[in-house]
Amino acid sequence: MARSVWKGPFVDGYLLKKADAARSSGRSEVIKTWSRRSTILPQFVGLTFGVHNGQKHIPVYVTEDMVGHKFGEFSPTRTFVGHSAAGDKTAAKKPGAAPAAAPAAAAPAKAS
Amino acid sequence: MTGRVCVGKVGAAHGVRGEVRVFSYTEDPLAIRAYGVLEDETGARKFEIASAREGNGHLVVRFKGIDDRNAAEKLTHMQLFVPRERLPEPKDEDEFYHADLIGLAVETKAGERLGEVIAVPNYGAGDLLEIRPLKKGQSVLIPFVGDFVPVVDVKGGKIVVDPPAGLFEDIPPLEGEGRRRSRRGGVDADTPTRSRFARSTSPSRGRR
Repeated sequence: MARSVWKGPFVDGYLLKKADAARSSGRSEVIKTWSRRSTILPQFVGLTFGVHNGQKHIPVYVTEDMVGHKFGEFSPTRTFVGHSAAGDKTAAKKPGAAPAAAPAAAAPAKAS
Repeated sequence: MTGRVCVGKVGAAHGVRGEVRVFSYTEDPLAIRAYGVLEDETGARKFEIASAREGNGHLVVRFKGIDDRNAAEKLTHMQLFVPRERLPEPKDEDEFYHADLIGLAVETKAGERLGEVIAVPNYGAGDLLEIRPLKKGQSVLIPFVGDFVPVVDVKGGKIVVDPPAGLFEDIPPLEGEGRRRSRRGGVDADTPTRSRFARSTSPSRGRR
């Protein structure tokens, strides 16, 4: 069930304060947060948050199209490395077996 | 700009005529036909695409010399590579192949060497550069946006970064580092347990 509109979006209060402080300071910094449940507000656009995924803080550079989503959506807590092939199952059981090489990327990344 | 780039992966066999499913990593899936002969991971086997058509979320491809289902099934899970030289240059000057970024040295504006790019993950919030720091410790992630990465010099083999305060100063130790082995057979203090898997990637565009 969706959250009632009259309540407005949920954001942890301390995160709002941190974001305000970062914006007023004008320095480029990563705002560390454990508040994955907080909604991304329009005033967060342009800031970078380090969203904890249980192990480390994943940097999330907030852009306009992230507004309305939760921070946790951009900091996955699990790593899916794929299913093993049928022929690889015995090899995967070997202790200390080296993982297969991961594919290099085919598509260009863009720093716009 | 050497080496090979993975452009797709073979899935299951399709039908009884030797066709296979191929998951293409190129921006236009059917563009995988344009790169000529494809190679397997070792480079020993070469495959030429005889025909390719779009399926439901994948391509259905027939390779020359693969004529029956038994031969097609042997290709399952095989990755397909092409030499980097065969790929066209990016149209935009701010656009880069992940394969070109990986391995570049990372420096500050002052010229201080910080580490090396080891991966370009994307968790939904734009591309990140995963940097292995010179100091011993966990890798560092930095958003691949102009504020933090002002200069990318692929030919010069380096990236200039303007990291946020504290990013490279407070590097956490590798997982398991400094811990004692527990009675139940926990981690060894000298053996980093961090996974070295990189992510396979799809076309992604960061924003400044």
